[in-house]
Amino acid sequence: MKTPLFDIDNWKEIGATLARNKTRTFLTGFGIFWGVAMLALLLGGARLTTELLSRNFEGFSSNSGAIIAGTTGIPYKGHAKGRSWSLDLTDVERLRQSFPELRAVVPIFQSWDNVSCTNGSYSYSGSALGAVPEYVEICTPLMYSGRFINAADESQERKVAVLGKKIANEIFPDTPDPVGLQVELNGIPYSIVGVAGNLGEASINGKMDEKVLIPSTTFRKAFARADRVDFITFVGRDGVRLRDILPRMRSLIFRRHGIHPDDESAAWTIDISEQFEKIDMVFSGLNLLALFIGVSTLLAGIIGVGNIMWVIVKERTQEIGVRRAIGAKPRDIVTQVLCEGMALTVVAGTAGICFAALVLGVAGLVLSAERPTDVQMSIGLAMGIMTTFVVLGTLAGLIPAAKAMKIKPVEALNSK
Amino acid sequence: MIRLHDVNKTYPGAVPLHVLKGINLEIRKGELVSIMGASGSGKSTLLNILGILDNYDSGEYFLNGTLIKDLGENRAAEFRNRMIGFVFQSFNLINYKNALENVALPLFYQGVSRKKRNTLAMEQLERMGLADRATHLPGELSGGQKQRVAIARALVTNPDIILADEPTGALDSRTSADVMDIFKTLNRDTGMTTVIVTHDPNVGAQTDRIIRISDGKIITEA
Repeated sequence: MKTPLFDIDNWKEIGATLARNKTRTFLTGFGIFWGVAMLALLLGGARLTTELLSRNFEGFSSNSGAIIAGTTGIPYKGHAKGRSWSLDLTDVERLRQSFPELRAVVPIFQSWDNVSCTNGSYSYSGSALGAVPEYVEICTPLMYSGRFINAADESQERKVAVLGKKIANEIFPDTPDPVGLQVELNGIPYSIVGVAGNLGEASINGKMDEKVLIPSTTFRKAFARADRVDFITFVGRDGVRLRDILPRMRSLIFRRHGIHPDDESAAWTIDISEQFEKIDMVFSGLNLLALFIGVSTLLAGIIGVGNIMWVIVKERTQEIGVRRAIGAKPRDIVTQVLCEGMALTVVAGTAGICFAALVLGVAGLVLSAERPTDVQMSIGLAMGIMTTFVVLGTLAGLIPAAKAMKIKPVEALNSK
Repeated sequence: MIRLHDVNKTYPGAVPLHVLKGINLEIRKGELVSIMGASGSGKSTLLNILGILDNYDSGEYFLNGTLIKDLGENRAAEFRNRMIGFVFQSFNLINYKNALENVALPLFYQGVSRKKRNTLAMEQLERMGLADRATHLPGELSGGQKQRVAIARALVTNPDIILADEPTGALDSRTSADVMDIFKTLNRDTGMTTVIVTHDPNVGAQTDRIIRISDGKIITEA
């Protein structure tokens, strides 16, 4: 009896007492099972939801924004209102120089009309984008094969193209990997250097899947753009809040283009980080709610254990008396009651964890059929829940155990 | 074996109840005695004190030369386990354990290994002629068989005395006689000191000596 935890007889004893009233043991166990399963499911489910939702933004820099030119709304410096204007490469350069807070400033050139992408008799009309290598800082594409546009493409104005996955599939239906082949864009041949798609659902002006990207220098020549930029995107360095510097960025650009500093309609600015913050709050709320409900269910289960242990002690007063009479020490009785609670908690809790893991696994498989996700419950979470449960389950047995300990053998024997 | 000197016991309450009023008693090793008295005479209290199930207020109780007084719960449990074998009126077997496990239970609390426990328990069951009932649950046994299992349990730790509380109270006359025979045989063959509390004169008559208790005092020690 020195170490009751490792004494096989002790456990046989516990097994026998728990097996004695199978219905009650089962129902109590089910309470715990459900508590553990609910907690694990809710926490795991919240994680899964978070994961699935954040996948929409995968590849998209969360601390990024954009400026797009509009038409002026206030007459200023001799210009009438309603004037349209354009961003240009000088703006990009000014922003780069004046805002060390920005990690990258990326001009985007976009074709106004769809471009026909042709391979022999196959043709698809998609939009063309003039991209600089830093484009990946804003929106990381999923490279199916090949590479993205690099600095050499840019400086040498190479006629190379990164095809969107969907376009590649449409015009090269028989070629699994068209990298190295040629595609004609509006009749001009380009070498395909990569095939790309969107990592998440978020994108700049349409999905990567349906775009064709060429170096911005090449784009400006091919589409006769000179210095004109369709929009400017930028990424803040870590810790920089874009909303703090956006007004200064606007006024820098507005000054250059002769626009009234307070003109709201002259340009649209987009701050993605604000959207991300909102979403993060939703996620935290979701997790908190899951935790609250789960913990409540868990507590209900634990109280159930304490309750049932109390009933068991009451019911077995005489038996405990007999055991005391034939030599059981108070410690033996306490150990027995606590171990019973613990055994019940461990077995039912493990079943609950396994059940939750199974449900989460299936849910993960179904919800992320097209792309596998790591939705399995982390070992840490499972262990955490189990430990909490076993500790609480054992504690729940303490009050009944204390009561059992106080049973005097003689009282017990008299309660016939 | 048992020596009580001026033992007093009062149950506290609004009206304190003085149940044992200076009990002096001596039971020698190897005796088979009965304690008789009407209900409320204090015989159950006396049995509880003899069995170290209850404390007394004043006086002295020596069991096999050891002063049994103001013991802690753990010491009391240990003494009960090693020195005393209990036999109860209602058998008090644990009904979800089979006969063998019931008999082995006191050894479990001694920390005896499982194998040894079962060997010793089996020996006692054989002695009681119940070897073939070892795996039966108490519910599957007759009253007499249950009491024999209980006696086997009392004997398994090889105690100094057997304390039996109305051991035949729940049995018919024939099985009562059987059980009494067991006590007598045990006493004769192994010299087991045996104290039987009873209100049945037939039982008392079969013992070496009858100790009569009335109103908390011993009135005859025949």
